[in-house]
Amino acid sequence: MIKGIGGEILWVDLDKSHIDKRPVDDETVYKYLLGAGLLSKVLYEKIPLGIDPLSSKNILGIATGLLTASMFPQASRHVIAGLSPLTDIWGESHAAGFWGPELKLAGYDAIFFTGASSDPVYLNIHDTEVDLLDAEPVWGRDVFETDDILRERHGKQCRVLSIGQAGENRVRFAAIMNDRDRASARSGLGAVMGSKRMKAVCVRGTGRIEVAQPKEYLRTMDRFYERMLANPFTPERAKYGTTNLVELMHNIGRLPSYNMREGVFDEYEDISGETITEEYLVKPRADWSCLQRCGRFTRVKDRPYKYIGGSPEFESQSSLGSRCGNRNVESVLFSHHLANQYGMDTISLGATISWAMEAWEEGLITEEDTGGLDLDWGNHEAIVKLVKMIAFREGFGDLLAEGSYRAAQKIGRGSEEFVMAVKKQEIAGQEPRAQKSMGLAAVTAARGADHLYAFPVLDEAGFDDEIKERFGKKYLPEMADRLDPTYKGIMVKECEDYMVMIESVGVCKYGTQIPPEFYYDDISEALRVHNGINLSPEELQEIGERIVNLNRMFNVERGVTRRDDNLPKRLTDVPSPRGPAKGQVVELEPMLDEYYRQRGWDPETGIPTEQTLKRLGLK
Amino acid sequence: MPELKYVIGDPEVCTGCMICVNVCSMYYFKVISPDRSRVRVIRLDDGLDFPLFCRNCPDAPCIDACPERAITRTSKGTVIVNNRKCDGCGDCVEACPYDAIWINPDTGKAIKCIQCGQCVERCPVDAIWLTTEEELKEKDPTGRIMDLHERHAEDLYKGRKTE
Repeated sequence: MIKGIGGEILWVDLDKSHIDKRPVDDETVYKYLLGAGLLSKVLYEKIPLGIDPLSSKNILGIATGLLTASMFPQASRHVIAGLSPLTDIWGESHAAGFWGPELKLAGYDAIFFTGASSDPVYLNIHDTEVDLLDAEPVWGRDVFETDDILRERHGKQCRVLSIGQAGENRVRFAAIMNDRDRASARSGLGAVMGSKRMKAVCVRGTGRIEVAQPKEYLRTMDRFYERMLANPFTPERAKYGTTNLVELMHNIGRLPSYNMREGVFDEYEDISGETITEEYLVKPRADWSCLQRCGRFTRVKDRPYKYIGGSPEFESQSSLGSRCGNRNVESVLFSHHLANQYGMDTISLGATISWAMEAWEEGLITEEDTGGLDLDWGNHEAIVKLVKMIAFREGFGDLLAEGSYRAAQKIGRGSEEFVMAVKKQEIAGQEPRAQKSMGLAAVTAARGADHLYAFPVLDEAGFDDEIKERFGKKYLPEMADRLDPTYKGIMVKECEDYMVMIESVGVCKYGTQIPPEFYYDDISEALRVHNGINLSPEELQEIGERIVNLNRMFNVERGVTRRDDNLPKRLTDVPSPRGPAKGQVVELEPMLDEYYRQRGWDPETGIPTEQTLKRLGLK
Repeated sequence: MPELKYVIGDPEVCTGCMICVNVCSMYYFKVISPDRSRVRVIRLDDGLDFPLFCRNCPDAPCIDACPERAITRTSKGTVIVNNRKCDGCGDCVEACPYDAIWINPDTGKAIKCIQCGQCVERCPVDAIWLTTEEELKEKDPTGRIMDLHERHAEDLYKGRKTE
């Protein structure tokens, strides 16, 4: 019997208001783990082809990993997946917090929502009692109000996951929020939840998690904690969170500015980690079992951008700051706070606004389109206004709520050229001309443009030792060189396999990839002590590879081929105009060739070969 | 009476990670379970995280409240529960002004922090430590930490009883 998990999966049929509890199937765990792996398998089998992602036929899955709620460093995470309304292919997003551990303490490892409710509902879980309740008191409310109301009603110790108005209004990049400011942001799954008229999941779990090796448990964790705390990245992470990536990325020409036209931002100091830490940081905050504490809790004291709450992350500083040419840091912080409140992905939000700003500059969008709103670069008042207009689909916000790809299709006039997206999802704050592996990762990620599916950061910060350990000395120095496309296909493949495995055990990429303190052998050890599962590093790698291939097949069956694994022309054909990466483009094709070879996918079509699928037990 | 020690936490330093909570339930009951831990952590929406422990009150109302005389103070000054005598009636839970003693749902016995220090050793940010009243005054002469606790008393000490 597998230890250290909840043990049951909830199937919530919203058409019939019926809830079913099914046991976790051990065989599936040994083939896919839980978390992202479980969702990949179940949703591959169950989501029909040819459906509208916002119809009742879509299925939304939420799952914790095998180590979620354990004492392994940063073991706080849950994964959400479904057919994405932004990309029309595999949609997946992840968040930390306390909600996932609470779900496990209530006895559940996953929830699947099928169908759609006619009236707004929310799910209330108190251990074995699971009820669909009328969401009238919270429908139309923002994320913070929903958290307040449900915890007032069901107990302060409850943990709440919900959508805000953006999800209700089916904004195509709406997030699913938990614990107020944690976001499962990408892929627009908040809109799927909204389309099902499912407002929230309120959980209270008073149970206990029994572990496989209680006698050696604390000693094992002590060793992990010692290593995590001794890692030189940890104090830096605690001090700045991810906020100082602004200055680090600017310094290597990798901080997108002006809709990714450039990779440097002259006013970067205004929105930097240093500025935020000195002027606005209240304190660093952690999630369950987290020693890195990258979470920020910040305050702006004065109007008009006054707030107190959890934010920001580097991605938001980049998307709502430099990417929009915006140096007003208080507006960056406040618009991030608003995005949390209404429940939106700040990456797609800022990137879509920056697309509109460039189209405005080019004269392709005018006041007639925007209803009088001036979209000059850096107009922070317009940015803040647009955040709300998008969440509520008001005026021009209704168009931008479709995401930059669909908005450009509707506007036309050549504005399509300025869409910085892959497979309709906006590229994150990782200028790939300054780090080639990020360009490859953005096109191979299953959920459309994404830096986290592979999170190929080994060439970012001098991890030569780790490269030697994982790949061998012969790949140095090329693999460690950000600007050299050589061996990046090998690196991205390895990173994807590892990262989807990590998302399936429910721990953070911080600590497992940057810094690369823990690797397959440590996860193998943690699974033995916590779950009583014996999976070797090699077996874990194969599981990761299986999941990546299954995600690919999900997309292949929906028409994805090599043609879709492509970057905007700006990144492959237009040399970076300025800064340390000046003159660089992404040499995508040779990297892709190498990647497909590594994967065992047909180089012409980008489709996994029969042989590959057979080897992984997928045929 | 010996100098009374207790664990105190700084809500401006605590990150809310729950490691102390999980160390406790694992150390004593071999499970991960906040409801079976002798420490709890409350996160408030103004950026404060409170790790909360038995205050080891000099006049410990839990001792007086116990009809079975199961709660006593040891020669070292620690208030402990005698499991053979405790029948889980919950009178001590009612009596404690800090919500620092409660009934373990598995054993039906009262549990509370006995100042063992297992969590203190493992707090990744050194937000909690063993102290006496005197030592706390030295470390925090302005009384900031206790002020924060008092100011948020309503949020901190009603949770368990109202559920």
